[in-house]
Amino acid sequence: MQRIHFGPRLFRKLLPPCAFLALLLCARPASAALGGDALSIAADQVRLAASVRILRAELYTMHELEAATGTKVREYLDSEGNVFAVSWQGPFRPNLRQLLGSYYETFLKAAGPRVSRGPLNLSLPGLVIHMSGHQRAFYGRVYIVDRVPQGLPTDEIR
Amino acid sequence: MRGYRMRRAGLACASVALLGLGTACSDNSGLGHSLIAGPADNVTELTVDSGLPDMSYYNGIFATVTVCVPDTSDCQSIDHVLVDTGSAGLRLLGSALTLSLPSVTDDNGVALAECTQFISAFLWGSLRSADLRISGEQVNHLAIQVIDGPVNTSTPVEGPPYAVPNDCTGYNAGTADDLQANGILGISNFVQDCGQHCTESPGLTSSNPGLYYACSSARTGDCQVAAVPLAQQLANPVALFSQDNNGTIIELPAVPPAGAPSMVGSLVFGIGTRDNNAVSQETVLQLDSRGTFKTQYPVDARPNLAFVDSGSNGLYFLSSALTAIPTCVGLLSAFYCPAFTLNLTAKNQDAKGLVSVNVKFSIANAISLLSGRGNFVFDDLGGPSTAPSSGGIGMSMAYFDWGLPFFFGRSVFTAIEGKSTPAGTGPFVAF
Repeated sequence: MQRIHFGPRLFRKLLPPCAFLALLLCARPASAALGGDALSIAADQVRLAASVRILRAELYTMHELEAATGTKVREYLDSEGNVFAVSWQGPFRPNLRQLLGSYYETFLKAAGPRVSRGPLNLSLPGLVIHMSGHQRAFYGRVYIVDRVPQGLPTDEIR
Repeated sequence: MRGYRMRRAGLACASVALLGLGTACSDNSGLGHSLIAGPADNVTELTVDSGLPDMSYYNGIFATVTVCVPDTSDCQSIDHVLVDTGSAGLRLLGSALTLSLPSVTDDNGVALAECTQFISAFLWGSLRSADLRISGEQVNHLAIQVIDGPVNTSTPVEGPPYAVPNDCTGYNAGTADDLQANGILGISNFVQDCGQHCTESPGLTSSNPGLYYACSSARTGDCQVAAVPLAQQLANPVALFSQDNNGTIIELPAVPPAGAPSMVGSLVFGIGTRDNNAVSQETVLQLDSRGTFKTQYPVDARPNLAFVDSGSNGLYFLSSALTAIPTCVGLLSAFYCPAFTLNLTAKNQDAKGLVSVNVKFSIANAISLLSGRGNFVFDDLGGPSTAPSSGGIGMSMAYFDWGLPFFFGRSVFTAIEGKSTPAGTGPFVAF
């Protein structure tokens, strides 16, 4: 298995945090919702009032949007520009309908009444969902199992 | 229930009395010692049981609150309100409320509502004003949330209830079946559930996270994100008491290894404000701005962000891959299922890394615990915080969640942000 070392060495910081208007001009179009291929990352940025940075690793590109609320959202794109994973961490949860796209309904159906009162860990056919935290500190990551680039350890998605 | 506590307390007292130590009833299973406070103006009874009738809530900790129409004696006592140190604010199921409480409105007289975020779920409902009474403590004109749940067909046009906004996302947990409780009493380390960000005008570059809405009618789309002053946000009611307002102590007895059907303890208001709420041998862990500290498990591992949360019903940490503890198969896959009960040690560290303390805890087989013996209270119920993964690179950012099992056999102090106590200024937890 090919190992990716998680560190600045492999990442090139292509963009400094952009101001809102600057981003519309400088960000390259990319998928935004999980599994999506039509939306532009600018749409996410508008929703999040976010600054963005783009990091390139060997097997994926990560767009990190930091909302004015302090919550960071990461979108992981494969070599074809499709989002195969999303994650978030911060004081407020992002808009899951928007972030999970066509997978939102799948998440809702599986998130129903449950015995555990705490983190949500779901390994659905083809989709893995983790959410944890409490008020003012939320974390989550969701990935499409068969779209994670081969050789990428899933705990690099974070 | 009260009888059960007295019996337990009696046993603990007897052994102490033999040592000539007076009437203190202590339990040494936790690190700090735990005294279950008796009746007082600042003490209310806690019950750990299966929740509302015919429900199976495991490790749910509840209190009874009294709410009144403001400035009247028109009051209602509501039991089985979940006591949650992980959130701020009183939220009651609309279906449990018989009172007609007035709406909280914005400056234009438009009714306010909230989409309250939880880990994967939300609670939606209007803000109402109520006088809250609990033990001898009181808050008048407290903003509370009346939880509406899914669409109600009998909704009047003017509302409430109001249609859930499109941007209010997650699983709608606003029913008795989902909550298995009549509401949530949020007594976290924070004063408000949102804070400064929700006072900002909404807009493209705003930091307003969009929790609060102003609702002009019950129709879909007629609730708009609103800026709400701190004083109108859902607040930890303890912070608004006229006394004993700097925090709380949850005091619960120890639980036998196989669990118990129910348990009774005390919720004490105030820290160091009276004889019954002094800080003594407890370790104080200061928290960061998000209410978290750090936990290392094993004690020499990399630290994980962590929090103490009475509203979580287990000890949720790491993953099967990292702990080598198997998860249960089937419906209980959210829990760990070791072949035999594991006695473990973790190291807790305050947010700045200045104070640390080792904590012992146990993880038992959840299928064995929950398999229909009529027990609903366990100090050894736990599960993964995140799922197994394939590689060892990086650190999972899922939290180490010290849920209710952590509270048994302990006194757990929750100090509110900005409030001073003899053990320092909040936010902190101490135990």
